[in-house]
Amino acid sequence: MSATIQVDQLSKTYKVPERKGGFGAAVRSFFKRKYKEVKAVQEVNFTIERGEIVGFLGPNGAGKTTTLKMLSGLLHPTNGKANVLGFTPWELKQEYLRSITLVMGQRNRLSWDIPAADSFLLNQAIYRLSDDEYKKTYKELDELLELEPLMKKPVRNLSLGERMKCEIAAGLLHRPKVLFLDEPTIGLDITGQVRIREFLREYNKRTGATILLTSHYMADVTALCERIIIIHHGQLKYDGGITNLSKKIAPFKLIGVMLAESNSHDLSKYGTPVQNEEDWEKRYIQVKAEDVTRITSRLLADLPIHDITIADPPIEDVIEQAFNS
Amino acid sequence: MFLIFKRLWQVNWAEQWQYRANLLMYLFYWLVSPIIYLAVWTSIANVKGSVNGFTANDFITYYMVLLICDQMTSNIVIHTFAYKIQDGTLSGELIKPIHPLLTNGLVNNIAFKVLTIMGLLPIWIILFFLFKPNFSGVAITGVLLSIPIMVVAFFIGYLLSAAITSLAFWTTRVYSIHEFYFALILLFSGQFVPLPLMPKLIQDIAQYLPFQLFLYFPIQLILGKLSTDQIILGYVMAGVWLVIAIVTFNWVWRQGVKQYSAVGA
Repeated sequence: MSATIQVDQLSKTYKVPERKGGFGAAVRSFFKRKYKEVKAVQEVNFTIERGEIVGFLGPNGAGKTTTLKMLSGLLHPTNGKANVLGFTPWELKQEYLRSITLVMGQRNRLSWDIPAADSFLLNQAIYRLSDDEYKKTYKELDELLELEPLMKKPVRNLSLGERMKCEIAAGLLHRPKVLFLDEPTIGLDITGQVRIREFLREYNKRTGATILLTSHYMADVTALCERIIIIHHGQLKYDGGITNLSKKIAPFKLIGVMLAESNSHDLSKYGTPVQNEEDWEKRYIQVKAEDVTRITSRLLADLPIHDITIADPPIEDVIEQAFNS
Repeated sequence: MFLIFKRLWQVNWAEQWQYRANLLMYLFYWLVSPIIYLAVWTSIANVKGSVNGFTANDFITYYMVLLICDQMTSNIVIHTFAYKIQDGTLSGELIKPIHPLLTNGLVNNIAFKVLTIMGLLPIWIILFFLFKPNFSGVAITGVLLSIPIMVVAFFIGYLLSAAITSLAFWTTRVYSIHEFYFALILLFSGQFVPLPLMPKLIQDIAQYLPFQLFLYFPIQLILGKLSTDQIILGYVMAGVWLVIAIVTFNWVWRQGVKQYSAVGA
């Protein structure tokens, strides 16, 4: 039997209108538009077998979402071929759409103004599920995601995490054979993330579904995927086991410290200072994973530390380091 | 398929109720111009006795029926759908195994119509007592014959508007294109002026355009003012334009989806 997902020289180039700011440029662009070609995905090849869970990683703008959109059929590629479950996705055949799902971070399956329960019933009809099938799947989803308390409220009144749970459930009611998940745990707290991960693993085990997921959280990927595909600047950079990847990527940790007094202390003797744009209060250094304990205790002994954190570096940085150097 | 439409109806009906105040505003906006035409033409005819053979009662009955036909045959698909193509919210609908415009979009418009017609009813009754139209020319056969025409005209109008809406796949200026299309409707449907008062050339052109099917043709049919030949020609035109509308919409939609860039996440 052939692979569930087969991608062959897949490419997508966007034409983006481009102009400088200002009135003159606006007038000129009215008469003569300039376009810039953006190569979002370039000649990507891979195959995924039935039942695999594959993590799809890359920095922002690497082409992950574009690839997922092509594979789910939303986008026509500029070049290349793809075959999923024997279908060409962008032909949007109903039979194809009934056997896949695409869950994206944003709202898309649930109507904003009405309770999720109504949207679920609509999906039951659209995907032609019998009452028994529907009830059975709903019960399973409810057990794993605790949906029942959320069902009666209008979707606009749910929190981001609650909505995400409902979105995922709505996308799985028809028991798809292939799942394309774009940031399925975004916006969820740690328990929520863990629960979704457990759920996906369980779903994969029970149904043999094939899952391709992108995530910002390394933990999502390490918990779920044995195989990883990395793309960067639209090109495939790595396709293989997650253990091999960790060897390739030097295992680093980030230590963030908030000093009680001035910030004049020199941290560079403890590790490589790095900037963290999300947190200006703390100063960060990057150290080898095996040195974390040693360096932390030295820091605590040497400096007037107010607060200290140890974290994994963001996935983007890791990939940037591994493939750009 | 029936169940899909039933559930779509439940969802869209509930959604439209959420926006009932909005909907009433929309209805008033919609009614303003025909009611102005009604008032203006009636006063002119009252002063002059008649305008090109149209008496004051002719104008009153014409516009009173127009208010109903307009609600039956018009659609708002450009407003409920074009933005989805532009901001990428269409993605969620496009990956479902049903056609977004021929199922959800359609039911959404029909739910909207049912509510606006409910809103129109009391207004129509008030106008009836204000203007006291004499409907003596109306015959039951004309009314019955007008119903299938209005249904087909709604579909023609919906599909043509949907085709224009689908131009949003290429251009963000789709609303101005639709404004131009709306101006054609205003001119050739008999809303601005009943068609017999238009120059002969415009009348001749209008006969072969779909727009008169939205208003002028069903109005005259209801008012019992058409000959058998005219009725047959109208039915043929409705059939021809339905086919043209289906083919046009399908073609534009298919080409458009290839252009879709699914912006946003």
